[in-house]
Amino acid sequence: MEIRQFAENALTIYMGDEIDEKINRKLVALRHHIEGMEGDGINEIVLSYTSLIIYFDIFRTDAGTLEAMMESIDEAALLEEEIEYRVIEIPVCYGGEYGPDIGNFEENGLSEQEVIDMHADKEYLVYMLGFMPGFPYLGGLDEKLHKPRLETPRVRIPAGSVGIGGRQTGMYPFESPGGWNLLGRTPVPLFDPGREETILYAAGDRIIYRPIDEDEYKRIEEEIASGEYEVKYEVKGGG
Amino acid sequence: MVLKVKNPGLYTTVQDLGRYGHQAEGFSPAGAMDYRAFMLANQLLGNDENAPGLEMTLQGASFEVMKDTVIAAAGADMALKVDGEEFSTGVPIPVFKGSLIEFGAAEDGSRTYLAAAGGFKVEPVLGSASTHVRSGIGGYHGRTLQAGDVIGTGDAAAAPRPFRISAIEEAEAVRVIPGQQYDRFSEEMRRKLSGEGYTLTKNCDRMGYRLDGPELVAEGGHDVLSEPTQLGSVQVPKGGMPIVLLNDRQTAGGYARIATVARVDIPKLVQKQPGDTVKFEEISVEEAATLYRDEMEKIRDGGYLEVNNDFRSHVRPTAGKLKRIMER
Repeated sequence: MEIRQFAENALTIYMGDEIDEKINRKLVALRHHIEGMEGDGINEIVLSYTSLIIYFDIFRTDAGTLEAMMESIDEAALLEEEIEYRVIEIPVCYGGEYGPDIGNFEENGLSEQEVIDMHADKEYLVYMLGFMPGFPYLGGLDEKLHKPRLETPRVRIPAGSVGIGGRQTGMYPFESPGGWNLLGRTPVPLFDPGREETILYAAGDRIIYRPIDEDEYKRIEEEIASGEYEVKYEVKGGG
Repeated sequence: MVLKVKNPGLYTTVQDLGRYGHQAEGFSPAGAMDYRAFMLANQLLGNDENAPGLEMTLQGASFEVMKDTVIAAAGADMALKVDGEEFSTGVPIPVFKGSLIEFGAAEDGSRTYLAAAGGFKVEPVLGSASTHVRSGIGGYHGRTLQAGDVIGTGDAAAAPRPFRISAIEEAEAVRVIPGQQYDRFSEEMRRKLSGEGYTLTKNCDRMGYRLDGPELVAEGGHDVLSEPTQLGSVQVPKGGMPIVLLNDRQTAGGYARIATVARVDIPKLVQKQPGDTVKFEEISVEEAATLYRDEMEKIRDGGYLEVNNDFRSHVRPTAGKLKRIMER
């Protein structure tokens, strides 16, 4: 654990220097610890691949106090801790107008169905969110599915699009320009200001993609419009 | 009161002090760039310091008043007229139904804040009224104001105060503290950063300021694993020209960061215009924290306000009154 300060109101805690599931687990456990600690003035905690930032109110606490708090944490014990996480199911309609680039994987020797099977077979770890609200940095994409970004990026990618950019898979919660290979689209709003959890997942959660056909896509859309749809997830881990 | 936008100006958005608590989900904080001017405009009206206001950039907006109220503007000096009569900014000004409020171009600085008694009323998103145009959330339908938009205000919580904002004098340098990848920049590069200065390019917006000047080279490369950004992060991509990340920044980024602009000097930086020069000066994070705490105390304790003896600003000019009577 390395504690550094790059802003008046924030401390950064580094747990390593590479993308690694263990580091993510430690950071998630550390976040859990900090959230449960007595102590005023902590405003928010932001996770990334290797670090965690604690933003604090400089009128209620200070860097020294928080640093001492962090140092009192047993780093080795963080890995032992069983932290709950959610496995969130995202239904995706692959191919067609929903995933116009799914055919691009033929040059990798993969049929559309093979791409779907491979992509939907994995549980992806959410390392962090960023780039745009709710955009997950996911780990676990099969190497056979790695694919460079399109030569000409699209001006407009619809919200809910699921794609692959380089070694990353992920999804666009908002309409956006982008150069990813689009495999499919989910009817589930990844951002919904009316929902208790406006973004469906947080760092430390897992995501699985469930292939659906167009009929089900439309049915889910209707259920969402009438407020009947519930996002499916399982809680795992924990003691 | 209710204002109708006649001319939206160049880039006018609803802002408060920002959307915090959701950076972990990827939400940029947004919020008023010059937090000091924003807070002072609200103070003049007795508003809560976080009451939503309008941020106008370089070219001001004009509005038709649809209900009597009091307004105050602060920040960059934009020529202000009410019913054709000139007014100064930095004071509370009563306005009446039917009046026309017009802001001109920013003469000194680049952003002006318009506050109204009770604050502008919009539906908050994740606890904030701030507009983030890139994701289309907050403020007035997640976008900049357009002609014809009608925007209301809340109920005034207190009476306007008989004060004016005093002239704010500042040192030239923008102070910075060492950033995440400070160690990747040699002594020579650090000296360059604090050397003769950088010029603001045309690519300066709420997301960040791209600067032009001495090239900064990072040892071991300019790309790093994506990690959270901070307000004022001075990141240096390949090419060596620094970019200062501001309120609408992405919450994560992967360029080497040589420094972070001290919060105390953010208002000074964001009021600069393209073509202006910025000179950086390195200080310690402890010093920056003390300066920021002192600055916030000064703002909140009325350290930037003085008694207003200019009666023109709180007495309605006869010309406007006559005009209104004649229109009846």
